[in-house]
Amino acid sequence: MILLKPGLYLITSFIALLVLAVPFFLVQASAPFWASAGIMVLTGTEWFPYEMLFGMLPAIIGSTWAILIALFIAIPCGVATAIVTTELVSSSLASATRMGMEVLAAIPSIVYGLIGLWLLLPLLQASFDLLSGHSLLAAGLILALMILPLITLMSMDALKLVSSTQREAGMSLGLSWEALLFRVLLPQAWPAIRGGILLAMGRALGETMAVMLVVGSLDRMPEPIMNVLQPAQTLTSRIGREIGEAAFGSIHFSALMACGLLLALIGLSISLFAHTRVVKA
Amino acid sequence: MPQQLNRIETVVKPVNTMEVEASRLCIDHLSLQLEGRAILSKLSTTLPATGIIALIGPSGAGKSTLLRCLNRLYEQWQGDITWAGQSIRNRDTDLLRRQIGLIGQKPAVFPCSIRDNVIFGLSRQQRRAIADEEIYKALQQAALWQEVEHRLGEPAEHLSVGQQQRLCLARALILKPDMLMLDEPTSALDPRSRDIIERSMMELGRSMPLLWVSHDLDQARRISNHILFMCDGKLIEQSDTESFFNQPKRIESREFMRWSVCDC
Repeated sequence: MILLKPGLYLITSFIALLVLAVPFFLVQASAPFWASAGIMVLTGTEWFPYEMLFGMLPAIIGSTWAILIALFIAIPCGVATAIVTTELVSSSLASATRMGMEVLAAIPSIVYGLIGLWLLLPLLQASFDLLSGHSLLAAGLILALMILPLITLMSMDALKLVSSTQREAGMSLGLSWEALLFRVLLPQAWPAIRGGILLAMGRALGETMAVMLVVGSLDRMPEPIMNVLQPAQTLTSRIGREIGEAAFGSIHFSALMACGLLLALIGLSISLFAHTRVVKA
Repeated sequence: MPQQLNRIETVVKPVNTMEVEASRLCIDHLSLQLEGRAILSKLSTTLPATGIIALIGPSGAGKSTLLRCLNRLYEQWQGDITWAGQSIRNRDTDLLRRQIGLIGQKPAVFPCSIRDNVIFGLSRQQRRAIADEEIYKALQQAALWQEVEHRLGEPAEHLSVGQQQRLCLARALILKPDMLMLDEPTSALDPRSRDIIERSMMELGRSMPLLWVSHDLDQARRISNHILFMCDGKLIEQSDTESFFNQPKRIESREFMRWSVCDC
């Protein structure tokens, strides 16, 4: 027992070192790329590694679109599901919904990708008369399905955490259910729901396998930029698809590491923001 | 057992001194079971039309539950409750809750300004059209105006617990209720805040009935005009305050006054 505290400190120090090592490693691995290509690659639109063109903008835009579509669908659906399960249905049905959401959250992402390949792509192809269903819309829909459980579960917890005193006070004032929901429950649950949304954004941003299977992995800007029915590329799908063919230590390899660094920085920013919001909530 | 219940009902029948004719809230054989346990058992009474009615009894007697039934926060009761001659089951729930205000034990202010808290229960149109005079009147009735006069825009959470409780009172009063129910509203307050609330409620009690749950027998004696004594979900005795404390009719009432427990 004497060694318990030093042991715990040792383990914690090791974890802290690992946390610091990840960004250090990414910076070190991507340094040759930044040195040779410069920061302007962030706005470049051409990605041809064999011609030393590493424009990152199409993938950045692809990632942005995929996340926006996912959030646009998952936020209203998740919050609505949470409202129904916590406020309207019986506790047994609410428990069943929670269990269902937990099961959805536990499914590996590759399975979502396979579902997308099997069900979603043919559906999109038929619905929008596409060459194939591979598109940013497909990526966004799959991501929406993947982050829906997280948003729903966080929203359910947030609504449950609104104190019964506040709820009862609102009801005692004769507020209608709608007024109670929009003036008491949602405003008080919102900080925690927002935290859940930000965490879900982090997950959507980092998702690779499912997106890679349905996005089409075509390195070009959507034309017009609002067109989400074209095959496209995201930062994660690019890394997943090309890392196997990039020679270790090459500029191509370093460029993919730079994509990783970019993702890590965005993810870190979202996590930090979400953490402060969740803690505050 | 039925004989005992009959005896209780006979005893709790309102005495002549009460303003039975003008009474508006009547409870008829009210029973409630929660999770298989009887919380209220065939409770019948008629409340006076004005004055403070102290609802006393040991913990677990069903006092707070009774308030929640009257406010329809609990719906699964048997029997009947009529308000101004009409069963509350047939009334619009939201309207009923505005007419019969309920103030809880712990003040529950909403995370907005003091002013917005006062008008929280009003509709959007009413909130837009509300005159400052109305807000002043509600705060004045709740004995809070002088303390918040210059800080109506401040967050309500900045107020002390006693002030928050009075804010909840003002919030209920601005709805112009016909009756107020108070569930141990002073139990978490310091003596000064308690005195302020008691004084303002005694003033209010002149114009409307106030059903006040209290554990504190001294307080019940001090503020109330009538007493309802409950134990184990039943109404044991109902009378005017002076009679209850000087000549209690039931042995349970005497025991409760002496030991603060009841062996029903």
